[in-house]
Amino acid sequence: MPALLAVVAALVTLAAAGDARAQVQASTTATYYHESGGGLSHNAITPSVRVRGTIRDAVTVRLGWDADIVSGASVAVVDAPGDVDAITSATRWSDFRNVVSGGIGVRGEYTSLDVTYAWGRESDYRSHSFAIAGRAELFDRNTTFELSYARGFDQICNLRQPRAQDAVDRQRLPSSDGCFSADDREALSLSLQTFQGSWTQAWLPILTTQLTLTAQVLNGYQANAYRAVWLGRAAAQEHHPENRVRYAAGLGVRLWVQPLRGALQLFGRAYRDTWNILSATAELAWEQNIAAGLRVRVRGRYYNQTGAAFFSDDYGRAPRGQYFTGDRELSPMSSFVAGGRIRWELPAGDDGKVGPFNAFGIAAVFDWIKYDFREFRYGRVAVPNDTGMLATLGLDAEF
Amino acid sequence: MVDSRSSSEARHGAGWGARFAWALALGLVAACSTVRPEDKEYLAQPAMSFQSGGEEDAHGEHVMQNREGSFGAGAVSGGGCGCN
Repeated sequence: MPALLAVVAALVTLAAAGDARAQVQASTTATYYHESGGGLSHNAITPSVRVRGTIRDAVTVRLGWDADIVSGASVAVVDAPGDVDAITSATRWSDFRNVVSGGIGVRGEYTSLDVTYAWGRESDYRSHSFAIAGRAELFDRNTTFELSYARGFDQICNLRQPRAQDAVDRQRLPSSDGCFSADDREALSLSLQTFQGSWTQAWLPILTTQLTLTAQVLNGYQANAYRAVWLGRAAAQEHHPENRVRYAAGLGVRLWVQPLRGALQLFGRAYRDTWNILSATAELAWEQNIAAGLRVRVRGRYYNQTGAAFFSDDYGRAPRGQYFTGDRELSPMSSFVAGGRIRWELPAGDDGKVGPFNAFGIAAVFDWIKYDFREFRYGRVAVPNDTGMLATLGLDAEF
Repeated sequence: MVDSRSSSEARHGAGWGARFAWALALGLVAACSTVRPEDKEYLAQPAMSFQSGGEEDAHGEHVMQNREGSFGAGAVSGGGCGCN
C-alpha cells in the first residue's frame, strides 16, 4: 500500500506540472442513510475518497478509502415474551468501519486487467479481500466481456463459548468490548468467493444491453452475534447455517430517445440462494440531458423476496429445524424506492480548464425507501422503522 | 436407489441450461452485426453508460444490500460504445 501511495503522489506531481503522460482523477462521495420509527432507528454516514492515476493510457493505479459510521437502536432479543415492550427497551449501538483499498490495472488496445486489495477493520469485524478482473472488447468495441473473481477472508468477533455446546444454549455477544484481545472473546472465520461475468452489447445506434451473472460461495459464521431469538423457553444467540451459495442474473437495457434527448434505463434481476431465498428486482429510470453538462435522472425500483427456509416469526410455536434467526432481511419482504439524481459537469473556460482542473463534476442523489415486512413481528408489533431515506453528495475532479 | 424427484429436477435444470446456452450462442452470432463507429454518437452519451450513476450509485447499492437478503448482478463498467 505505501508503494501505491508513492506512485499516486508521483502521478499527482506530474499531472500538476502539466505532463500529458499522467492523468489523475479524484472523487469524494458521502452518503447519509436514515430510518426510524417506534423507538427503533438506523443511521449510517458513508464517506469515501478515490484517487486514480493513469500513465500513458496504459497503467492505472487506484487508492481508496471508505468508512461506515453507523448508529441506531435495535432489538437484542427478538420475540421475547413478558410485559416489557421489546421495542421501547431496544439497545443503542454504534460502530465505525474503515476500508482501505489499492489496486493496479494494465490496459491494452482492446483488453484490460485489474487487481485490487482491500483491508477493512471495525471494532468487531476484520476483513481482507483480493479481486482480479479481466475485460475484452470485440467486434469494433460493440461487445465487451468482463470476468472477475474476488476472495474474502473475514474475522467476526463472538463470545467465547464451547463449540460442542448446543446452539440453543449459546448466549449473544453483549458488546464489542474486548473483541480480538480479551480471553472471553473469540474470532470466527468467514470465507467468501465471488465469481462474476458480464456481457455488454451495443445492438443499435440507440440500444445497448448488459447481462451480468454472479455466483457467491460463503463458508463460515454468518449470523449477527449480538442478536438473540426467543425459542419458547429461553433465548439463544441467532444461529445460521455456515454454508450459503448465492446466484444472481441481471439484465440492463439502455434506449436513447433522440426527440427527448434522454435515455430510458431498465434493469431486472433474479436471485436465488441455498437458504431458499428467491427474489426479483425491477427498476425503471429516465435520464434526461437538460443542458450542456447537466443531467437529471428519476427512478423507481421494486424488490420482492421470499423468506429463508429456516425463518419463522415464532420459533416457540413454529420451529424450522436446527437454525433460527431474528434477521428481518431473511423474512419475506419487499421494498420500493423512488428517487432522483442530478449531475452537473462544470463548463470549461477558454483555456479548456475548470479553475485548476481539467474537469470538475458535482452529483446529488435522493432516494425514499418503503419496506414491507409481511411476516416479521417483534412479538405482536409490526416493524415500526419501515421507511428510509438516502441522500448522497459526490464531487469529482480530473487534473 | 435414485430419487426420482431429484433426477427430474436435474433434467429440468439441464434443459434450462441448454436453452440458456443456445440463447447466448444466438445472441453472440447476432452481436457480430456491429454498430459502426460513426454511428455511436448516442451510445456515447453518459446516460447510455451502465455506470452513469458513478460512485453515488455504488453507495446506494451498498446500503440496499445491507437492508435486503439478495446480492450481486449489479451494473459493471461495461463499455460497448467504443467511444474512446
